[in-house]
Amino acid sequence: MPRSGRARSLVAVAAAVLLLAPVAWMWWTSLLPDTYDVAEMGYADYGGGPRAGHDHHGGGVPVADLVEERRGPPDEEATLTVRTDGDRYTVNGTSPGPELRVTQGDLVEVTLVNEDVDEGTTLHWHGIDVPNAMDGVAGVTQDAVMPGDSFTYRFVPVRAGTYWYHAHQVSHEQVRRGVLGAVVVEPRKSRAAPIDPVAVLHRYGSTPTLNGREGRQEVDVQPGDEVRVRVVNTDNALMPIWVTGAPYRVLAVDGVDVHEPGEVSGVAVKLTAGARVDLGVVVPDGGARVDFGATTALVLGEDPGGDARAPREFVDFLSYGTPADPGVDLTRPDREFDYRIGRRPGFLDGRPGVWWTVNGHLFPDIPMYMVDEGDVAVFHIENESGESHPMHLHGHHALVLSRDGEPATGSPWWIDSLEVGTGETFDIALVADNPGIWMDHCHNLQHAAEGLVAHLMYSGVSSSFKVGDDTDNHPE
Amino acid sequence: MKQVYRVMAYLIALEVVVQAAVMVWGIAGLGIWVDDGGVVDKQTFEDAFDGGEAPFDEFAGLMIHGMNGMMIIPGLALLFVIVSFFAKVPKGVAFAFGVLGLVVLQVFLGLFGHEFAVLGGLHGVNAMLLFGVAVIAGVRASRSIKADRAAGVHERVAV
Repeated sequence: MPRSGRARSLVAVAAAVLLLAPVAWMWWTSLLPDTYDVAEMGYADYGGGPRAGHDHHGGGVPVADLVEERRGPPDEEATLTVRTDGDRYTVNGTSPGPELRVTQGDLVEVTLVNEDVDEGTTLHWHGIDVPNAMDGVAGVTQDAVMPGDSFTYRFVPVRAGTYWYHAHQVSHEQVRRGVLGAVVVEPRKSRAAPIDPVAVLHRYGSTPTLNGREGRQEVDVQPGDEVRVRVVNTDNALMPIWVTGAPYRVLAVDGVDVHEPGEVSGVAVKLTAGARVDLGVVVPDGGARVDFGATTALVLGEDPGGDARAPREFVDFLSYGTPADPGVDLTRPDREFDYRIGRRPGFLDGRPGVWWTVNGHLFPDIPMYMVDEGDVAVFHIENESGESHPMHLHGHHALVLSRDGEPATGSPWWIDSLEVGTGETFDIALVADNPGIWMDHCHNLQHAAEGLVAHLMYSGVSSSFKVGDDTDNHPE
Repeated sequence: MKQVYRVMAYLIALEVVVQAAVMVWGIAGLGIWVDDGGVVDKQTFEDAFDGGEAPFDEFAGLMIHGMNGMMIIPGLALLFVIVSFFAKVPKGVAFAFGVLGLVVLQVFLGLFGHEFAVLGGLHGVNAMLLFGVAVIAGVRASRSIKADRAAGVHERVAV
């Protein structure tokens, strides 16, 4: 039966509205406010633990007050001045910036000066579990430092190891363009002058560099010398690294020593974005070479020669080294959280695209992981997003318990940056011993800018800063 | 409106052709780059996709494929369905929803091809299906327009 033209048109309009309304709604609800507080973002996830003490409207200790408790003059001081140089940034005139060498347990004071970075900058101490207000995340732990201003970071590095600093303001741009440098925390009881060169890997444009220079570089060592190569991956993607010409040991991962690391050869280490490893090499007569992908290399003594050929096998930290007491009891967690990473079409602040999700939700509708000080929290991380993600937790180290259901059997594997491949699951545990509001995000910084950012929030802590277009703070 | 329907159907079919062309162009460029001794690793891809630092010109093909496939074609398919409500092409709405469904499937096959390569293979097969359904939709609209003309019916411009 033919309908009238008018009735048919009405049906067509109604159908069009029905189809477009949900899309318009999704677009509208995705818009971020001009100013927002990360502590008010998303929804609270208590991980099956109590809610007591989590009334964050009721005040509590402001993040800005969570500073280093030790007073008095610092044991070590440095000033880092960030300035623009064409489309790059430098720290004290170079990139990577100066390597900071400090001693474990010393009070360190670093003054950041922003000379002329219009959008402001900050410094985050990647892997060093500093007090919350010293963490350097714009809009979460401090305001971005604007041109002509400065900010002083004070902290006591408790753990020796290899770390790095980088901007956490517009970090997906500022890190790529050079606001970064290495931090070595030397053990208090150091053996006689170790040979421990730092290898900072960074790509400027599409040029891979080692400590800011292309190609192979030499370290002046003699056969028989024990060398500890401290490798820092400052890029957004994992990098395979290996040693040509000698066996080696992985002495430390993310600043934590491996227990009884075994000697390996002909295998590579997959170095996660943001992560560090210390490789131990005894220089043989013919020399050795640490290859960073097929791009740059550090030659120890003579170059053993030949092309950089990537091994097909990798060190598996799940079973590397031998078991030891991790020092904390993580067997009875107070809270268990899911951190499931997915991907789906939708809008991110009004922009259409295929965006990352956490537990099925798009940013900013993602979980706020709530803990009490002293809790043991287990995170079940799962990646079904089709791409691998180097997940980085601020302010804490976490112990890997299992991968794909297979328990860890090697040395305690402590991480602050963990590559979660697509299709993989990890269970990790941490002790909530550093109150504050902490980012827990993907260190492929472009992914963080695309919304793969959650936070860990302590009870009794209130936020001091705000993020958004009406502020100067853009941490991602 | 039938003309709009017809043009959109063929435009989506053309977009499928563009997708195939830019992808192979990009991969051919990648092959030449590697053959010339160029190195490609994960960071190369991150820099190229996110930082705009392509190691070789043809990388643009991979970028165009991604943006076209994840933003422009889904947008066109959605518009196509809305146009179909007004176009009065016999079974035009069903075909438009068919195109939209295949586009959604295509996006997911493309994304999950990053996890299971076999889905990438199906992404190629589904492209053929999508192309076919879009062309048939266009041909049906053309036929309907011809039939209208033969019957002396003139489409109203305004709805």
